[in-house]
Amino acid sequence: MQVVVELFGIARARAGVARTTAVGDCLGDVLADLAAQFPPLAESCIAGRTLRPGFLANLGGQRFVTAPDTPLADGDTVLLLPLDAGG
Amino acid sequence: MISARTVPATSPSQQRTTDSIHLMNSSLPGYHGCLLRIDLTTGVSGQVALDETLLRSTIGGSGLGVELLLRAGAAECDPLSSDASIAFVFSPLVGSPLTTSAKFAVVSKSPLTGRINDSLASSGFALAGKKTGHDALVLTGRAPRLSILVIDEGGVRLESAEAYRGLSTRETERRLRENLGSEFQTATVGLAGERQVLFATISHDGRHAGRGGSGAVLGSKNIKAIAVRGSVRPHWAEPAALVELARKFSEKSFGPATAKYRELGTASNLLTFNRLHVLPTRNFQQGSFAGAEAISPEQISVARERTRSSCMACTIGCEHLYGLQNGTGSVRLEYENLFALGPLCGIDDPEVILAASRLCDDLGLDTISAGGTIAFAMECVERGLLDEPWLKFGDGASLLRSLDLIATGDRLGQLLAQGSRRMAHAIGHDSIDFAPQVKGLEIPGYDPRGLQTMALGFAVGSRGADHNRSGAYEVDFSTAVDRCNVGPESAHLAVETEDKAALMDSLILCKFLRGVFTDFFSESAEILRLVTGWEVTANELRQTAGRIVTNKKRFNIRAGWTPDEDTLPPRMLRQALPDDPRAALSKESLGGLIRAYNLARGWSAEGWI
Ligand code: SF4
Repeated sequence: MQVVVELFGIARARAGVARTTAVGDCLGDVLADLAAQFPPLAESCIAGRTLRPGFLANLGGQRFVTAPDTPLADGDTVLLLPLDAGG
Repeated sequence: MISARTVPATSPSQQRTTDSIHLMNSSLPGYHGCLLRIDLTTGVSGQVALDETLLRSTIGGSGLGVELLLRAGAAECDPLSSDASIAFVFSPLVGSPLTTSAKFAVVSKSPLTGRINDSLASSGFALAGKKTGHDALVLTGRAPRLSILVIDEGGVRLESAEAYRGLSTRETERRLRENLGSEFQTATVGLAGERQVLFATISHDGRHAGRGGSGAVLGSKNIKAIAVRGSVRPHWAEPAALVELARKFSEKSFGPATAKYRELGTASNLLTFNRLHVLPTRNFQQGSFAGAEAISPEQISVARERTRSSCMACTIGCEHLYGLQNGTGSVRLEYENLFALGPLCGIDDPEVILAASRLCDDLGLDTISAGGTIAFAMECVERGLLDEPWLKFGDGASLLRSLDLIATGDRLGQLLAQGSRRMAHAIGHDSIDFAPQVKGLEIPGYDPRGLQTMALGFAVGSRGADHNRSGAYEVDFSTAVDRCNVGPESAHLAVETEDKAALMDSLILCKFLRGVFTDFFSESAEILRLVTGWEVTANELRQTAGRIVTNKKRFNIRAGWTPDEDTLPPRMLRQALPDDPRAALSKESLGGLIRAYNLARGWSAEGWI
């Protein structure tokens, strides 16, 4: 499966891009692919197939997810966000 | 217990004075064990002892301030009358080596909401104020003319502020330090405070005790500024262990939990909120803004110099300042001023937003209430309810002119200066339906329809719609709830975030430190134990936090609170967000959340304590 990934805040700053694509059947696969594509992103946001503390994923702007086995479908959009939304 | 006496004026500019302050000796670590009460009408000041039971049950900051105001009968007073009290309250942690602890709370009845108002700010004022030998400074009465209140080792005196009349907050601070000496720390009001704009701030070191109009309260007392200097430090119960713990917290504050604040600042929320359609746009008529990319900090910093700064005694340093392109200096940009002076008013020109932020800083205006009230007026013009055709969404000149009018006060300015709720009552035609406020306080940058635990936090908030007293957006930004379809089970999560905020505001630590704690209540208990020597437990602090929230409710009930004011603007309970139809709330769904919250607090279902 190929999914669209949109990055925000620190995740965007580390990856150096606002939007990219990644492959995988579940969130853990996609995170692992992103970590391979963007090593600086892995250092601060991704540990293996999971998100590091302080980060969240969101499916299509709707549902927040963190579980690596969350299934994804072809064409899904995954948002990578800092957990701390406050200002 | 009064220990200072008045003596006659000694010079024309020095109106009243007291003898030097005879300090009480506190055996209680972390505290001085007394407050300084100043009656500005009579010029009499004196110390009042604060006993250990009171301090342990309220800690300091907001908790202590609310209790002091309750005891002073402030809930029943007109907040702008001479009878009203305003308290500047420190905490046992002020002056300690703990990062972000140089903070104080300004507590009064809000002239904007008629309810409790506790505003927090960081600066050297907290350190110097506590070093005067007091845990709080409480002002009542009204000075006979515009004055500077000076508190130092020599005592308490009022000096004429004629030379400072009309000056910006920045210029007032600069001249005060020049005239009094750089060891003085100041809290000042701008023109907005002098004119008693109901959302005027109190400023110090460029930071503001921002919400609810504490600047108007100080202005109503004829006080342009307070200048403090002192050298008295309380001792700590376990100084070596406290220094070690503080070192660990400072180390952690450089870690990933605060990276967002350090590297990007809070303004980086903008694009996230825009993507999730919860960025209040054009007076909450939309949840996303076409110009969001153009005003994002990522974009603003391309063509402007960006520097970082921090509050006094802070190792995080979340402040990001952007240079104005006309070369007239730099401006602190946070998410709240960015959203309120940007998308909320339909403005997509970064230079206008920066200039408007600077103007609010100088005049001493709360940016959220200023932006919210102007956006409301823009919608009134659009709907033909207000005959000011120049006042349009997206027009930068309109925004800047409106801000000037608020402080300088022509007819429209006087209307705007009262905030959106009073303005709606004056305009009529059911415009209250879309006035962006709760209890009179303008709503911060989180559309409640798409963040429904936050909606609950806004509705029940003791000082109105407020993201600092309820951190319920944290619940919405998690896997715990569906943010667009929150049920009563989220009520206890809202209670938990509100309790944490109440404790942080009483200890007083910066909210941006919250990610650094692993077990907030236990670690807070350890901090307090090392400072005060009290064998406090996490459980005791949970109870203290809950009691502080209930005390705020007690204040509001005495001030006239009724259950029907715990709500949101009617339009938000009728219309879903156009850009996300899932983001819909109804009177019934919000009512269910509020009932669950009240019961979770141990109050009646309606919210009576
Ligand atoms: S994190 Fe920011 S707001 Fe908090 S104390 Fe530090 S500089 Fe001030």
